Amino acid sequence: MSTQAKYRPTWLKIGSVVFIAVWLIIAAFPFIWTLWGSFKIELDFFSIADWTNAFYGRNTEATYGSPFTLAGYEGAWIKEGFGQNVINTFIVCFFVVATSLTIGTLGAYALSRSSYNYVFWLLITALIFRAIPPITLVSGYLPPFFQYNVWGFLPTAIIVLVAINQPFTLWMLNSFFQKIPQDLDESAKVDGCTQFQAFRLVIMPVMWPGVITTGLFSFLLAYNDFAVTSMLLAESNRTMIPAINAFLGTTQTEGNVMFAVAAVVSATVPLFILVMFFQRQIVSGLTAGAVKG
Amino acid sequence: MAEIQLRNLSKRWGSFVGVDNFDLTIADREFLVLLGPSGCGKTTTMRMIAGLEEVTEGEIWIGDRKVNDLEPKDRDVAMVFQSYGLYPNMNVYDNIRFPLKVRKVDKSEHDARVMKAAEMVELTDFLHRKPAALSGGQRQRVALARAIVREPNVFLMDEPLSNLDAKLRVSTRAQIKNLSHELQVTTVYVTHDQIEAMTLADRVVVMNAGVVQQVGSPTEIYDNPANTFVAGFIGSPAMNLIDGHLAGGRFTAQGTEVTGLKGPDGPVTLGFRAEDATVSNDTSGQITAPAYSMELLGDATMVTVRVDGQQVNVKASKEYRAEIGDTVSISVPPEICHLFDRQSGARIAV
Repeated sequence: MSTQAKYRPTWLKIGSVVFIAVWLIIAAFPFIWTLWGSFKIELDFFSIADWTNAFYGRNTEATYGSPFTLAGYEGAWIKEGFGQNVINTFIVCFFVVATSLTIGTLGAYALSRSSYNYVFWLLITALIFRAIPPITLVSGYLPPFFQYNVWGFLPTAIIVLVAINQPFTLWMLNSFFQKIPQDLDESAKVDGCTQFQAFRLVIMPVMWPGVITTGLFSFLLAYNDFAVTSMLLAESNRTMIPAINAFLGTTQTEGNVMFAVAAVVSATVPLFILVMFFQRQIVSGLTAGAVKG
Repeated sequence: MAEIQLRNLSKRWGSFVGVDNFDLTIADREFLVLLGPSGCGKTTTMRMIAGLEEVTEGEIWIGDRKVNDLEPKDRDVAMVFQSYGLYPNMNVYDNIRFPLKVRKVDKSEHDARVMKAAEMVELTDFLHRKPAALSGGQRQRVALARAIVREPNVFLMDEPLSNLDAKLRVSTRAQIKNLSHELQVTTVYVTHDQIEAMTLADRVVVMNAGVVQQVGSPTEIYDNPANTFVAGFIGSPAMNLIDGHLAGGRFTAQGTEVTGLKGPDGPVTLGFRAEDATVSNDTSGQITAPAYSMELLGDATMVTVRVDGQQVNVKASKEYRAEIGDTVSISVPPEICHLFDRQSGARIAV
């Protein structure tokens, strides 16, 4: 009888497998296409004559003697010094994540343990600021930055990114802290902790999944940001995303599209590794409930 | 070792009164139980002693120190929380050791003291488990061990048994009684369960709506309740209370007539305990009514009748039998009766 209950019609089994397979291909196709194309030359990847050139690499073979070439990567990394952009990105990401998590954990903990009514309004205000498109804020920042001669530097971009990011981290961490029962703080205090010791020794160890999840989100925000970094950074201080944009060229400057494609692949790979590395923490952070005593 | 003095202690949130003018001295090594229904202010009182809730008015003294403005950590109290408040990332050993660690107790002492505390609550087999891998009763015992490991001046226990199942509650109750006897530490214990209060306490404080109703030993509170609230709260079943009139020492209510009472004429509430009255099948008793329900308890038979819409319970011998609907007669001699003022609910001194 139990096998009867578990029985699913064949068409449903096949249907769901096909559906998932098709979905997977559609979802993964842009990434795979870009990865494949990054080893071709522009004539192939953006071939007007025959789109299958992008697949077989006929022109690439004619130029370099092989259907695959590292010309795009060489151009981006060696000629254009994409490495410096990568370093800049990681500097920006590191300081954005570190600053917004420090302020975020302390602030969100205080908010989550406060019994005053203004907490609610603070969080609502934070949400409103989070909802404002970053670009509208950037236009307001520009004149004073020029006036005080701080435009173009990494610290400036970091401060602006933290400011844009902070409401979100506060909001997210606050909801994590609220899931940690107040009894934990109180028993720590009775056991001999100051408020800060209770936070550091008892609450934070339970909070790691939440901190990692929030940290990853703010990392991604800084990593993927275009609006702020493209407007606020001088050419020599560019992070990856505005650099890729520059490779594409403008109406005034000639770019090299294949450098951009190779750089896109280079910028995507670390994200895959990062998410896979932290996937357990992210899942437990997102599903929460992991903090129950 | 310390005496706790609560001097005219009050807690208010805006216009809401949580605890009203609580004045009590808890003797050194006394086991005091705060008893009352939920929302009566018993937990708030305890939290004020612990320092987790600010005092609106009044003073708290532990030993010879006024502790109103001291942090919880400086009051030298240990507390067992209703939800245990165990640290989920630490194993049992580290949970018990935590108070020693944060209080910077000499490291060489830690192991011996943790082991001793774990032994007292029979946890030595589980020291390396995380709280999540423990049963409710074991978690409860970890919380107890964490409280006793430091040998504090005062124990505070906030409904420590309420999350346990009935069977475990009885055995853990005995364990707490034994522990408190062994440790001889001033203990304040909060509960809404009057059986816990009766079995554990040296003295019981019955509270309702933030106001202390009665302070006394379990027997005092059971035998001489100060008002109808205490009478109706203590005992299982609670005291029978019948509203009626007293005139010339004769109490009358529907189907009820008790003579030989002493008290001023007027509207009163008559109270008596189920086990003090007796039942018969004739009409010789003071209350005569059809049996409303019969319950076999094993050691006794509980007979319930209804008087003026109110249930009156009487414990008969375990051999007693009657059918529902049979007319039964309950004998309520005046010496088992308590009289309360019907307006104020206060006991009328006889």
